[in-house]
Amino acid sequence: MKTENVFQITNLNLHYGTKQALFDIAMEIPKNQVTALIGPSGCGKSTLLRSLNRMNDLIDNCHVDGLVQYENDDIYDKNYDVINLRTRVGMVFQKPNPFPMSIFDNIAYGPRCQGVKDKKTLNEIVKNALVNSALYDEVKDRLKEAATSLSGGQQQRLCIARAIAMSPEVILMDEPTSALDPIATAKIEELIQELKKDYTIVIVTHNMQQAARISDNTAFFLMGELIEYDKTDLIFSQPSKKQTEDYITGRFG
Amino acid sequence: MKHSKRRRLDFLFQGVITITSMIGLFLLIAIFAYVFKQGSGLLSWDLLTSDYYATTYDTYYSDQLGDEVFEKPSHLDESVYFSSKWGIGFSTALDNEGKSYMLIAYIDSNSPLRILPDKNNEGEVVEITENQALLKVIFTNYTIIMSSEGPENAANLFDAADGIIDMITTTSGKGIRGSIITTLYLIILTLIIALPIGVLSAIYLREFAPKKSKIVEILRRLIEMLTGVPSIIFGLLGAAVFIPFTSTFTAADGGNLISGALTLAVIVLPVIITSTDEALKVIPDDFRQASLALGATKTQTTFKVVLKSAIPGILSAVLLSVGRIIGESAALIYAIGTAIKDQIILTERSTSLAVHIWSIMAGETPNFELASAISIIILAVVLVLNLIVKFIANKLSYESRTS
Amino acid sequence: MTKIEFNKDTKFSMKHNKKTDRIMQNILLIPTVLSASFVLMILIFISQRGVAPFLPSEYGNESVNFLRFITGVTWYQPPNSYGIFFIVVNTVFVVALSSLIAVPISVFTALYIAKMTPKPISKFFQTIIELLASVPSIVFGVFGLGVITKVVLWIASIFGLQTAGGISTLATVFVLAMMILPTITLLSITAINSVNLDLEKNSLALGASKMQTYFKVTLVSAKSGIFAGIILGIGRALGEATAVSMVAGNAGSGPSFDLFSTTRTLTSTMLLGLKETTGLDYDIRFSVGMVLILLIILTNLGLNYLKKKVGRFS
Repeated sequence: MKTENVFQITNLNLHYGTKQALFDIAMEIPKNQVTALIGPSGCGKSTLLRSLNRMNDLIDNCHVDGLVQYENDDIYDKNYDVINLRTRVGMVFQKPNPFPMSIFDNIAYGPRCQGVKDKKTLNEIVKNALVNSALYDEVKDRLKEAATSLSGGQQQRLCIARAIAMSPEVILMDEPTSALDPIATAKIEELIQELKKDYTIVIVTHNMQQAARISDNTAFFLMGELIEYDKTDLIFSQPSKKQTEDYITGRFG
Repeated sequence: MKHSKRRRLDFLFQGVITITSMIGLFLLIAIFAYVFKQGSGLLSWDLLTSDYYATTYDTYYSDQLGDEVFEKPSHLDESVYFSSKWGIGFSTALDNEGKSYMLIAYIDSNSPLRILPDKNNEGEVVEITENQALLKVIFTNYTIIMSSEGPENAANLFDAADGIIDMITTTSGKGIRGSIITTLYLIILTLIIALPIGVLSAIYLREFAPKKSKIVEILRRLIEMLTGVPSIIFGLLGAAVFIPFTSTFTAADGGNLISGALTLAVIVLPVIITSTDEALKVIPDDFRQASLALGATKTQTTFKVVLKSAIPGILSAVLLSVGRIIGESAALIYAIGTAIKDQIILTERSTSLAVHIWSIMAGETPNFELASAISIIILAVVLVLNLIVKFIANKLSYESRTS
Repeated sequence: MTKIEFNKDTKFSMKHNKKTDRIMQNILLIPTVLSASFVLMILIFISQRGVAPFLPSEYGNESVNFLRFITGVTWYQPPNSYGIFFIVVNTVFVVALSSLIAVPISVFTALYIAKMTPKPISKFFQTIIELLASVPSIVFGVFGLGVITKVVLWIASIFGLQTAGGISTLATVFVLAMMILPTITLLSITAINSVNLDLEKNSLALGASKMQTYFKVTLVSAKSGIFAGIILGIGRALGEATAVSMVAGNAGSGPSFDLFSTTRTLTSTMLLGLKETTGLDYDIRFSVGMVLILLIILTNLGLNYLKKKVGRFS
């Protein structure tokens, strides 16, 4: 079966000031699959994730060379509209970070920023997002309550719903379960399985079991370099590189 | 031996430090005790609502008096002497300088004296109300009441008379209504001017300013320098810049409320900028990133998410500013002037409560009672505002610790 | 799964997005520049008015001789003998004395609040000091005229000395000390609280008593922050106007170092008699203001230089 790629990364080098964080990265991210980025802390996996929706722009003296193509457009082209990119490539952060407003307003935030004002449309968007993030039944009677009143796991699913509300094509997840307990984590993992039917998901995770459980492809990073990138079953059953094997068998990291 | 000496020395130091640190508490109590002792007797609703300047009314009664006999209302005690013929009661009272005078303690709503013609303005009428002082009456039978007459005598003479050739009354005066209104005007005007400028400046400096820009660093320094400027120097700024400015663009001629509010705006500007900046500083970057990752622009992120989280900080800034405005004196003495007024007009002079105190203290005979009464009001407001700000700050730091 | 489509075909336009941010950035620059401009306005316009009394072009024969102004030891309006030298000396004298009183009290209070008392009591005392800091100058003035002058009168009577109803240098010193006490205390508390606790533990472990530790380790480590508080307090004291004017008196000549005689500070000169005055006597107050600004700047520079020397080891 031929897979279609949403991201095509070629020769990506990234510096923070004089310190190089990514070295010559080249990889593709296939559509409607879950791609996991693993590796020890500081290996550059989060940096790579953030270069996919140009969140690195916010960091001072961050410098990017090479090519990152999203649906065949170079997203680092100076005329490329970043804001538009971010509406199509959503992101979920490590710590649940709902805005200090109601559940409804949190989800409606993105669409409102794009100029959606119609009450009926917004209601529909919010409902869909909540249904798709498996949160609807839990919060349907308290949409006007503060989002901070939800539990940690619910808050993180709210953040996923907030991303879904923008109808993105890709969702980037930066260690989305690292701040959650095992039960909440299981719910999010279940949700990710559900979401990959409609979205392409790129997930950074510290937890190798999680990568093995939920992803289709796994990329292993070490010191800013992409060591190995393959089907998840292959990476975990017969890694071709020594470092990968050392890492997944827990010899370091 | 050496040890016991050291211990004694330690004990001595501990004692000295403990006693010294009571001085602050002692001073605060002393200030409160003094202003309450001096001013609480004067503090009344009448003080807050009446004019500063006494108005004197000169009237007469020439109509045929009706047969109606008025009843002395039961709530009046024995110190009030009542004329049942005219429906009016008198008592003795002390004025702000401690002199006794004859007070109109009660006047019936149907009393013939209620509305009287004004002797000085043909066709105008004068309303005689309670709390006016009776200065002098000449009846048609040529008996005369002077204010030195006792209230009992006065009531009897009224009962004996059928008409009045001349009656002079006066309002109590020495009230602070005008200064309260001026203070409120100044608070509102100052905040209208300073709040948007301050909040937007803080937003620029924290959210939009290019990092590591020399010019931005200079702007920041200049704003910081405002904090160290003494208020009397701000007063000079008001006199040199804002008075001419307002005189050019409004009907004002000399110091006025607008020039005062502009001066106060400059004074509270650093308070607002610092406080808003502090609030923006502690907002976690997560919020900004989450919003930007949703495709919001920086402008949308700032005004929809960031600013919303900064509201408690801005509220603290407003409260601190109000405290500063109410307490400010030196700057306003220059930027508005020291003339106490009852009719408050934006383009004219009048005094805030603090400057009102200055006006009545700076003369030959300082009025400690009135100054203390106003001080009580100022202290109460300022202290409550400060406690609220402290409460907000505690709550915020508690929330940021728990989330 | 239903998706709601927005207008997403603006991939290469960057039309609205970046432009709004740039426009907003420029709009927000306006209030910021305005806020920053007031300090410059103060310097420019006060200098402009303050120089006028010395210019024959403004005041003709009446104009003030600059040299006599800066060296003079009298301040009288009618013969136009404005001399600010003694006023500056009196101001520095009064402020120096008030700091001498306020600094030890403030540092001890800060030490007590930060180190020597359990949390609820220290919180209570800190709130008291914060409230004292928020008492407006005019209220200190009323208290000064009503109470402090009486205290001074009483002290004078003990020594058998005369005072003008207690209105005197000493009353001014007391009032100023009261007013800068909370400023210095609050900054000292912050400074003491930021001293590394390990230092104290080390000192205690070496057998020093608590008091020895506080004086030899804690206060020494916090001295830079305490000094910053003192600098701020002295700045306040120099610029304090209303309360000082009410208790300083209106001495016409000096300098006077007599604690029980009336005095005259820069700020009291600017405020007293303002109501009845116009022309030269009004404008000369701007010149006094210039001298005040200069004095504050010089004092700050000097004290900051001292602070650097003092704080060398911390």
